[in-house]
Amino acid sequence: MIYFVGLGAALGSILRYLVTTAIKKKSQTIWPTATLLINLSGSFLLGMLYGLATIKVAYLIIGVGILGGFTTFSTMNTEILGLVRSRKCIYAWWYAGTSYLVGIALSFLGVILGNIIK
Amino acid sequence: MNFKNIISVAFFGFIGGILRYLLGVWFDFNGTIIVNILGCFLLAFLTYFLLESETPASWITLGLGTGLIGSFTTFSSFCLDTVKITEIHAHTYLLIYLIISVVGGYLSTFFGMKLGRLSGRNIKRGNRM
Repeated sequence: MIYFVGLGAALGSILRYLVTTAIKKKSQTIWPTATLLINLSGSFLLGMLYGLATIKVAYLIIGVGILGGFTTFSTMNTEILGLVRSRKCIYAWWYAGTSYLVGIALSFLGVILGNIIK
Repeated sequence: MNFKNIISVAFFGFIGGILRYLLGVWFDFNGTIIVNILGCFLLAFLTYFLLESETPASWITLGLGTGLIGSFTTFSSFCLDTVKITEIHAHTYLLIYLIISVVGGYLSTFFGMKLGRLSGRNIKRGNRM
């Protein structure tokens, strides 16, 4: 079982790496678009998966594995700190606020949507 | 982007995911707090250590940062945890969970950066001597 989670996490990590490099190549903004997009979409999908109350194996592979490995808390905080250090505090507050508030709201919405579909 | 980088991210991401899973099994919601706080410290340390010591980025550091620590920490579980804790009406715990994650996450990133810069500078000085 534990290897399924690991394989999912490996896949999630590759996806995060590819999405991040692709977005950074396209646009060089100070706003960390890639991580925000990854974290918000991942939070919504995990909420939905939980709401669907799927079988345990699927939840472990897709939820704990892929989505857990796809989204990242450490990169977000390092980016917030980076914005503060380059004296872009307004951006830091907006980035942190959007991530946390919208992330939790989307997760909540995902659970409700999952419950309805189920 | 090359093949070596992707393999490195996948291999270390595999390990990071398993470690996160085990901590989640042992500590439940607190497992998410532990991985996120610890991961924030480690990633900031690594990032600023490499920057300060002027170590060139390689497939190993990419694997450790993006793969291992990126996969170890999780934002989606953090969000879902807050929804689950709200569902069971554990309001005091919810407040504690949020404060430790949000404030603690930032503070551990800050201290990771401080220690990373300090170590990076020392390594660089050591290499020159």
